[in-house]
Amino acid sequence: MSKSTKSRKKSPKRQPKNRRSGLWRLLFRFALLGLVVLAGWMVYLDAVVTSRFEGRRFEVPSRVYARPLELYDGASVSASGLARELELAGYRAGDGVKLGTYRRNGGRFVISARGFVFPDGEEPRRRISLVVSGDKVRSFSVVVGPTSPIVRLEPAQIGGIYPAHREDRVLVQLEEVPELLPSTLMAVEDREFYSHFGLAPLSIARAMLANIKAGRVVQGGSTLTQQLVKNFFLTREQTLLRKGNEALMSILLELHYEKDDILETYLNEVYLGQAGVRSIHGFGLASQFYFGERLKDLAPHQMALLVGMVKGPSYYNPRRHPKRAIARRNLVLDEMAEAGLLTEQEAKTAKAKPLGVSGKPSFTDNRYPAYIDLVRRHLARDYQEEDLQSEGLRIFTTLDPAVQHASEVAVSKTLPKLPGSEALEAALVVTAKDTGEVLALVGGKDPSFAGFNRAVDAKRPMGSLIKPFVYLAALEQAERYTLITPVKDQAFTLEFDDGKLWQPKNFDKQERGEVPLHRALSKSYNLPAVRVGLDVGIPQVQEKLRAFGITSPISDYPSMLLGSVNLAPVDVAQLYQGLATSGFNTPLRTIREVTDADNEPLSRYNLKVDQVADPAAVHLVQYAMQETMQEGTGRSAYYTLPDQLTLAGKTGTTDDGRDAWFAGFSGDLLAVAWVGRDDNGPTALTGASGALPIWSTMMAQIPQHGFSPVMPDGVQYHWVDTEANALTGEGCQNARLIPFVAGSEPDTHTGCNGDLGGQIRSWFEGLFR
Amino acid sequence: MRKVTIMHAASFALILGLTGCSAPGGGSIYVPMGGGDQSRAPEPPRTSGQERSEPQVWRKSEQPEVSEPAPAPEQPTRSPSYRESGDELPAAAVALIRDADQRLQQGDSAVAIARLERAQRVAPRSAEVYFKLAEAYVAGNNLGAAEQFTLKGLSLAGNDSRMQRSGWLLLADIRRARGNVAGASQAEDRARSL
Repeated sequence: MSKSTKSRKKSPKRQPKNRRSGLWRLLFRFALLGLVVLAGWMVYLDAVVTSRFEGRRFEVPSRVYARPLELYDGASVSASGLARELELAGYRAGDGVKLGTYRRNGGRFVISARGFVFPDGEEPRRRISLVVSGDKVRSFSVVVGPTSPIVRLEPAQIGGIYPAHREDRVLVQLEEVPELLPSTLMAVEDREFYSHFGLAPLSIARAMLANIKAGRVVQGGSTLTQQLVKNFFLTREQTLLRKGNEALMSILLELHYEKDDILETYLNEVYLGQAGVRSIHGFGLASQFYFGERLKDLAPHQMALLVGMVKGPSYYNPRRHPKRAIARRNLVLDEMAEAGLLTEQEAKTAKAKPLGVSGKPSFTDNRYPAYIDLVRRHLARDYQEEDLQSEGLRIFTTLDPAVQHASEVAVSKTLPKLPGSEALEAALVVTAKDTGEVLALVGGKDPSFAGFNRAVDAKRPMGSLIKPFVYLAALEQAERYTLITPVKDQAFTLEFDDGKLWQPKNFDKQERGEVPLHRALSKSYNLPAVRVGLDVGIPQVQEKLRAFGITSPISDYPSMLLGSVNLAPVDVAQLYQGLATSGFNTPLRTIREVTDADNEPLSRYNLKVDQVADPAAVHLVQYAMQETMQEGTGRSAYYTLPDQLTLAGKTGTTDDGRDAWFAGFSGDLLAVAWVGRDDNGPTALTGASGALPIWSTMMAQIPQHGFSPVMPDGVQYHWVDTEANALTGEGCQNARLIPFVAGSEPDTHTGCNGDLGGQIRSWFEGLFR
Repeated sequence: MRKVTIMHAASFALILGLTGCSAPGGGSIYVPMGGGDQSRAPEPPRTSGQERSEPQVWRKSEQPEVSEPAPAPEQPTRSPSYRESGDELPAAAVALIRDADQRLQQGDSAVAIARLERAQRVAPRSAEVYFKLAEAYVAGNNLGAAEQFTLKGLSLAGNDSRMQRSGWLLLADIRRARGNVAGASQAEDRARSL
């Protein structure tokens, strides 16, 4: 701007005409034109520099975190699971004293936790000690740091949502950067940073001299400002025009902004490496990427390495070229000593240290593509994609790395053993039963493939998974249906208005006459289900499904009673959540909280519960679903799982085995497995032979509580003879302890009164209930 | 005969008393991971055929506490299971609830809820933690959520009449605050009948 006013002032002086002036005039006009163009160019550059600096300076990707591991006495975790979790969160095996290390001796762990700023407060650094035995945490104690009976480890970063050009960075502010780092940077790259005006002509001259002497480029004369401008605004090509622009922009930058502003931006902008397709920018992220530590925790030799890498991040890559990196680092340490930043002795000690680079970056890209896919869909309801890519949001998810690992292993181990496995695909969803938090998600047989996410997108007929809801609708009418109500297992034909006929059949084509309702469900007989469903009414069954969370349209045809309702595995998980928790719907969640880069909470996705069914009726269905696992279609689960683990579940198979389903739960986990073909072709599988093995293999790897629901109000257990449909005594023939909605138990007694002990026991039970 | 009956009665009372002490708490239904690498192939599903003999049915609450790792049981332990009360709060959850109480007193119900949700993840089968969540939602003036959490807590209160009573009274307060007078007095009646 100042130049353009100057040029206007000059022009009137040149008014007088003379004869020699022709050439001069031409020259003058050219000069004038040049000045105007230059002025215009400067105005343009100024606008570029200021707008880029004033506005959002950086695009910072969102960080996606797994759920933090909570450690306390009684926490369920295996020793190997804990070790894996620690590695995933960037901890290293070590002495357990140095920050970010842990020491393991069998089941005994000492962990030096780094601390972490969570949305609801900071978790301070602590050294903790604990013993894992019987897959439980015991003898938990805080050795160093504020004491607490429960401690959260920092969560593992499981992914990021990156800007289009795949830059990754962690922003740092100058105040939080240890003083030694910028000093070292200046000592190495730009000694006169605080005194020059953007350019350092002396340095340039010195560098030119050195380069001419050497006959090649051995020294650069650019200031930090120039380097920043180069990175920030310009391409890397070495042309004179670019050099000119760089110089002009550097001066403009210095005119407008404080040195500290420029330095801080430099610290955040500088390119320091590559992680796959992502480029690592700034010292904040580089510190995490190379050392797994926060910038403020770095030791001098680590800072020296990072500063040394500025010159050539790939040439001095400490993971790939450790020798070069160590030589470069030691050179920087020498410079630090020369500049008085370290004493000779300190420099010597630092030079003797190894590079101290972490084995591998503590996070990888897209390790859990299917899970992150679901997270993104949930985020899309509340956030713009560009904000996710640029605002540096922190997204706290519910992913449980141990359960996810178990799920991936279960799919990859089990699927190849199934007949026709080449064409098979699978999906698995695992949630925490009482919180609705999605702990793990597998979207296909290759869990690392970020393609079609079957867990979310493969909408398939649910088959017999519908039956618990059919019977729930019936059992809510306690005056008409109990678990021992005999239901007809006999073929019949339905004729529709248009004359079409429908003739449902049992899977085994057999008919058994009459069976008690609980057995009809646990053995998954089709004919009784259709009969009961038609009796209570299709609208009542539809209403149950809607209450439990189906939002898509549900067929009106009787075939819906056998599961002609298309659902994705996550939809089924949502549906079964209410069955697993005694009639309380809990919306599935993958996100607990989202904060901005400064830890200000943006969204909290709180736990919600919503009672949608009579807990007494649900308790009865849960009984039959436990029976399914013990005597019914799900019993092969106990070939893999320990007998003590009580479970409840339901198999589902659609025509010709096109879809094999299993949905079931323990005291802690709810999981839904699906196996089928992408082309919807037939398979030789059933729910029990296709989906259940995956489900059980996953469950077997997780320590957990068995399913043992609390008996709700209005439910009473009675010994009944299920064949005679009458009360009986414990130990009598066909005796079975079965829950009833109070008042719906049979009023007749069979002959057997049981032994005396049984009688007294039931009397006492009545007394103590 | 009468003597025998009394003996039986006394021994059963003793057993019930003992199980009353040992049954609550998650320990009894906790199962360490197992069988992950078992090579037994799953049995193909049987959709017909004869019934297996009825397994002996036993009550989970009458089982002696098993020390971990659980010894191999002599009899199959598979049987539909239920309990008469929810879990007791472990120390970790108690600490979180205490912290949440402090936050509530400072008027920070959002952080209190975050603490209580942590406690709920530690003790998801404990009635108390849901009642506390209900209280936090009352403080945040979200009575709808408060009512649902109270109901959820009640579903886990089982035969613990102290817990039941505090749940029903809490429900009565919430319902009255929501203008549901009939529902409130219904809940009060339930509390009184305990």
